[in-house]
Amino acid sequence: MDALKFLGKRLANLILLLFVLSLVTFGLLYMTNSDPARTLAGAKKVSAEQLAAIRAQYHLDDPLWRQYLRWLNNLLHGDFGTSIRTQLPVSQMIGQRAWITLALALLALAIALVIGLPLGILAARRNGRWQDRLVTALAVAGLSAPSFAVGLLLLYGLSVQLGWFPIYGLGEGGFLDTLWHLLLPAITLAVGLFASVVKISRASLIKQVDSDYTLFARSRGVARRTILAAQLRNAALPIITSSGLLIATLVSGTVIVETTFAIGGLGTLLQTSVTFKDIPTVQAITMIMATIICVATAVVDALAALIDPRLRVRRSPVAVAAVAVTAGSSNVGRADNDGTAGANVSDDRAVDAAAHGAGANDGKETAR
Amino acid sequence: MMTKVWHRLPLILALVVLAAVVVLSVVPALSAGALDQDIMLSTALPDADHPLGTDSLGRDVLKLTLAGAKTAIIGPVTIALGAMAVGLVFGLTAAYVGGWVDWIISRIVELMLSLPTLLLAIVVAGVIGGGYWTNVLVFVILYAPYEVRLVRSGALAHINDPFLDAARLLELGPLRTLAFHLFPVIRPLVGAALFLDMSNALVSLSSLSFLGLGVSPQDADWGRQLSDARNLLFDNPYAAIAPGVAIIVTSIALNIVGDFITEQSEKAER
Amino acid sequence: MSDKTVSSVVSSANVAANDAKLAHVAANVAYAANDGSATVASPAVRVAGLHVTIGGKEIIHGVDLTIPRDATVAVVGESGSGKSVTAKALSGLLPDRSDASGDYALFGEPINLEAGERAWRRLRGGTIVWLPQDPFSSLDPLRTCGRQIEDGLRAAVRTGRVADRAGDDRPVEQGRLTKAQRRAAVERLLVDVGLSPAVYDAYPHELSGGMRQRVAIAAALAPDPRILIADEPTTALDASTQETVLDLLESLRSSRHMTLLLITHDLALAVERADHLVVFHGGQVVEEGGRDQVVHHPRSPYTRELLDAHTRLAVTDKPAPGDVVMRAEHLMKTFPGAAAPAVNDVSLDVRAGEILGLVGESGSGKSTVARCIVGLETPDSGSVVFAGNDGKPTGWSRGEAQLVFQNPYGSLNPTMTVRQTLAEALRVSGKPADDAAVRALVAKVGLEAEFIDRKPGTLSGGQCQRVAIARALAPEPKLLVADEAVTALDANIQTHVLETLLELRSRLGLAMLFISHDLDTVRRIADRIAVMRHGEIVETGTTDQVMNHPRHDYVRTLIAAMPPALD
Repeated sequence: MDALKFLGKRLANLILLLFVLSLVTFGLLYMTNSDPARTLAGAKKVSAEQLAAIRAQYHLDDPLWRQYLRWLNNLLHGDFGTSIRTQLPVSQMIGQRAWITLALALLALAIALVIGLPLGILAARRNGRWQDRLVTALAVAGLSAPSFAVGLLLLYGLSVQLGWFPIYGLGEGGFLDTLWHLLLPAITLAVGLFASVVKISRASLIKQVDSDYTLFARSRGVARRTILAAQLRNAALPIITSSGLLIATLVSGTVIVETTFAIGGLGTLLQTSVTFKDIPTVQAITMIMATIICVATAVVDALAALIDPRLRVRRSPVAVAAVAVTAGSSNVGRADNDGTAGANVSDDRAVDAAAHGAGANDGKETAR
Repeated sequence: MMTKVWHRLPLILALVVLAAVVVLSVVPALSAGALDQDIMLSTALPDADHPLGTDSLGRDVLKLTLAGAKTAIIGPVTIALGAMAVGLVFGLTAAYVGGWVDWIISRIVELMLSLPTLLLAIVVAGVIGGGYWTNVLVFVILYAPYEVRLVRSGALAHINDPFLDAARLLELGPLRTLAFHLFPVIRPLVGAALFLDMSNALVSLSSLSFLGLGVSPQDADWGRQLSDARNLLFDNPYAAIAPGVAIIVTSIALNIVGDFITEQSEKAER
Repeated sequence: MSDKTVSSVVSSANVAANDAKLAHVAANVAYAANDGSATVASPAVRVAGLHVTIGGKEIIHGVDLTIPRDATVAVVGESGSGKSVTAKALSGLLPDRSDASGDYALFGEPINLEAGERAWRRLRGGTIVWLPQDPFSSLDPLRTCGRQIEDGLRAAVRTGRVADRAGDDRPVEQGRLTKAQRRAAVERLLVDVGLSPAVYDAYPHELSGGMRQRVAIAAALAPDPRILIADEPTTALDASTQETVLDLLESLRSSRHMTLLLITHDLALAVERADHLVVFHGGQVVEEGGRDQVVHHPRSPYTRELLDAHTRLAVTDKPAPGDVVMRAEHLMKTFPGAAAPAVNDVSLDVRAGEILGLVGESGSGKSTVARCIVGLETPDSGSVVFAGNDGKPTGWSRGEAQLVFQNPYGSLNPTMTVRQTLAEALRVSGKPADDAAVRALVAKVGLEAEFIDRKPGTLSGGQCQRVAIARALAPEPKLLVADEAVTALDANIQTHVLETLLELRSRLGLAMLFISHDLDTVRRIADRIAVMRHGEIVETGTTDQVMNHPRHDYVRTLIAAMPPALD
C-alpha cells in the first residue's frame, strides 16, 4: 500500500468518526426526558407562546436532517449557540476557559511523560528485580485509583494538612499564580497517565530485550549503545501507537479533575452544563473535546505508521526477490522462492491479532 | 515457604478485601442504619458513637462507607459480565467465521473504540438523566467493543491451530466447536479481563456518581459520598478519606487479582 | 530472588577483577589462535565439568567437550537435550536467571563462565559468534541489512584484533575505517555469502527466509570470529536450500580458518557434514569423537538408536492392495491474490492397504491437495470421490478420510484430556465412547493407558501425535492422510511412529496418503511415490521405480540432496 493511500484511508476513517460523533452529539437534544423545546427553555416555567417562540427560533419543526445540517453548519462557522443556563454565547464561555483546560492537560502530560518514561525504561532494564517490582506496583496503584479519590486525598494531605498547595480554585493572581494553582490538579491527572506510560513503555522495552535480534547482536559483540538504540527504536513504535489512548484519557480526565478542584475550565463547565441540561453548551464542548481526541489519535497513528519501514512499500533494492515474495499480501504464504519450509503467514488477521495484543487493559481508556 | 507467602501477600490481601466487599454487599444487616440522618450531629468529628464521625446530613460515616460496598460491586460486576457476553458472541463469531462478517464487526468495533468512552458516558448518561442502572447500561454498551476486540484477537491467535481443523474434520458443527474448543482456549484471557473490567467499571461508575450523575442523593455510594465530602475537608476529613480509601483499595484489589490471572495464564502457555 | 542477589554481589565483585584479566585473555586468545607454528595447537574449545542451571533447575549435568580447531563439529541431540543451552553458555548468552560453572578454555586460554557482560563482550565477535536459528526474528526489522552487518564490523575494529592471519590476503584492520571502507567490507561479505551487494540497502522483511539467513551469516562473519556456532541453521529451510547454505558455511569455514559448530537434531546431516561429532542426551554428552568412529563404532546405546533410525524400516506383512478408496481428478486451486495456482491439474488415487507417498518442497501444493481431499479446502475445479459404503461413490465425510497434522501440540485441544478428546471423536462418529472403547483406541496406536487422563501439555511430541492418530481413527475412515505427520518429531521417535502407521495399515487395511518434504522419510514407508513441484505432479511410480530410475530432473536433484545411507 502506498504511503499516500495509507494516509488517505486514515483520513477517511477520521472523517467518518467525526461524522458519527456529530450525529450522537446532535442527538443529545432528543435524548432528554422532555420535549426539546422545553429543554431549551431551561428550568423555569414557560408559557405556550414562549415555547412556540423557542420552537421557531431553533427550527424544531424542520425535518431532523435539516436541523442537523443547520447545527453542523453553525458549528463549523464557530457559532455554538447560546447557553440556556447563562444566556451567554457558548463560544464566549468556552473561549474564557479553554486555555485553562489546555494548560492543565499539557502540564499533566508533561509530568506523566517526564516521570513515566524513564521509570518504565528503568523497570524494563531491571526486569524482575526490586526496582521493577516497585515501579510496577506504583503503576498498578496509579492505574486503579480513580482520580477524584486521589485528588481529594492529595488535597487533604498536601493542602489542608500540610498547606503546601492552595486549596480550591484558580486564585486571583497572574499567570504564575494560576499555574501554581494548577499544579496539584495536574499531578492528580498525571497519576493515571503516568501509570499507563510506565506500563506501556516497560512492556514494550522488555519485549525488545528478550528478542532474538538482541541476543544475536550481543553475540556478535555489537556495541552496547547500538543495541540499546535499536531496542528503543523498536520499543518506540507500540509506545507511540498507544499514546493516542493517553490523549483520550487526558482530555476526559480534565472533567473529573477540574470538578474535584473546582477549577473553572472546560471540564467544570461541561459538568455544570450536563447537570443543568444546558444542551447547546454540552454539545459544543463535547464536539470540541471529541474532535481534539480523534484528531490527535489519528495523527499519532499516522506518525507511527510512517516510522515503521515495514509499512512503507517501495521498489526494493532486491527487486526480483521482493516481487516473488509479495510481502504483506493475504496470500497463504507458501510460494517462497527460496524454499522456506516454515509457514510464513502474511495473514491480515494474524497481523491484526499480533498488533493488538491480547491484554485486557490494552487500549482500555480508564476513567480518570 | 515464608518467601512464597511474602511474594503472594498482595494477592492474599486483595482477595481478603474483595471477600469483605462482597460480604458487605450481600448482608444488609452489617450496614444497617447507614442512611439515618441526624441533623443535630451534622459533620461531627469521630467519637465513641461514630468512629469516623458524621457527614453533613448527620449520617454515620463508617456505616455509610460499609453500605456503599453494594453499589461498588453490583454495578461493576454487571458491566463486566454484560460487556463480556457481548464480546464473546461477536468476538468468537468474527474470528471463526471470518470474511465479511469479521470485516463488518471489526469496522464497527474500531469505530466505537475510537470514541472517547468517559466523555460520552458523562454526556449521554447525564443528559438522559437516568440513575445508577442507566449508567450501568451505558457502560455495558461502551465497554462491549473492548471485549469484542479482546476475544477476537485471543481467538485469532488460535484460529489456525490444527485442532480446530480437526474439529471440522469430525463434523462437530460450529456451535459445538466454538463452545467446547475455541472458548476454553481463551478462558484464562476472559477471566483476567473480567477482573480488570470490574476495576475500570468501578472507577467509571463512581466517577459518574461523583459528578452527580449517578445514584440519587439518598443512596449510599462511594462516589457520591466523596462528592458530598468535598466541602467537609476542614470539618470532618474522614467523610472524604473513608470512601476515598475504600474505592482505591477495592479497585487496586480487583486489578491485582486480574493481573495475577494474567500471569498464571502466561505461565501456563510457556 | 535472595539467592541470586548474593551470588550477583559476589560475581560483580569478581567482574572488576575479571575485566582486566579478560582483556589480557582476549589478546592472548587472538594471538594463540593464529599461532599455527610447530607447537601443538590447543583445541578451539575445551570444557570440563560444565554445569548449567536455569531458574534453579539444572539443565546441563556435567559436560566434557573438546572441539578441535579448524574443524566442522556437529553437536547432535533431540530438542531439550541441552545442546543449545551449552552453546549459549560457551558464548555467555545464557538468560538472566542462570548459572554456569566449570572449566572452560578457548584456544588454551582459561575463561571464567561467571564473568560479567562487559568481560564477555570482549570475547564475543572476534572470538566466538552464535548464529540463531530463526532468520525471521534474528534481524532488527527497523534497520537495513547492510547497517546491521556493519555493526558487527565496527566491533572487530574496536577490540583491535591485532594478529595477522597466515595465508590471508586481507589487510590488517586497525583503527577506524572510513564510511566507504566499511560499506565496501560489508558488500564483500554479502558477495561471500552469495548475495548481491544491493542487499545492503534492503530491509529484512523485503527478503525471503533463505536470503535472510544468508544476511545473518554475513552479519555473524563480520567481526571475523574464530568460532562460529550455527544453531540449527537450516531447520527453517528447504532441502535444496539447506544444501546450499551448508555448502556455504563449509567453504567459509575453510577460507577463513574458522571452527564451525553445527547444532542440529538431524543426525544424517551431522554425519554428512561434520568431521567430528558430539551427541547430547538429557543434558549430558553421551558420545564424542571423529565421524567415522562414531558412525561405525558408537559407544552409547542412544547413539546406536539414533543411527538405526535412518535405516530402512522392516516392512513385513504388506497386504495386497485392494480397491481404489479415493480418487482425485484434475484438481485445480488458485488462492486469491496469488500469481500461480497452488494446485494445477493434480490427479491421484489410493487403494485400500496401500501407502502413497506425496513428496514436494514447501510451496509445491502438497498440503493444499491434502486439504482438498478432506474437504478443508474446496478446489476450484476437479473432483474428489470416495468409494463409499455401498459401492456408491460419495464425497468426503468423516467416515471416509481423516487427516493427521504436522504440529503435534497444535492438533490437540490443550484444555481437554486425551480421554475427552477421544471420547468426543467416538461419540460424534456414533461409536460407543465408554472407558473400554477409549482404552481400545489408545492401545491401537501404541500409547500406554496411563496417559489417558493427561492433557497434551504433559505429553511428548510423539505421544501427542499418537493421540492425534487415534482421534483420526475414531470414525473408522478408509483413508488416512498424514500431512508432514512425523516432520516435527525427533529422529528416533519418527521411526516409532512410522512403524505404528505401518502396523495400522496391515491390521486395518487402511489406505494412506503420506505427505512429506523429505524424500528420505517417504521412501521408507511408501509403496508408491508421487512427486510434486509448483502445483503439479512431475513423476509417479512405485517407490523402487522413482528412487532407482527417476525420469524427471527435479526428482534426480532431490535424490542427490538426500544424505548418504548411514549403514
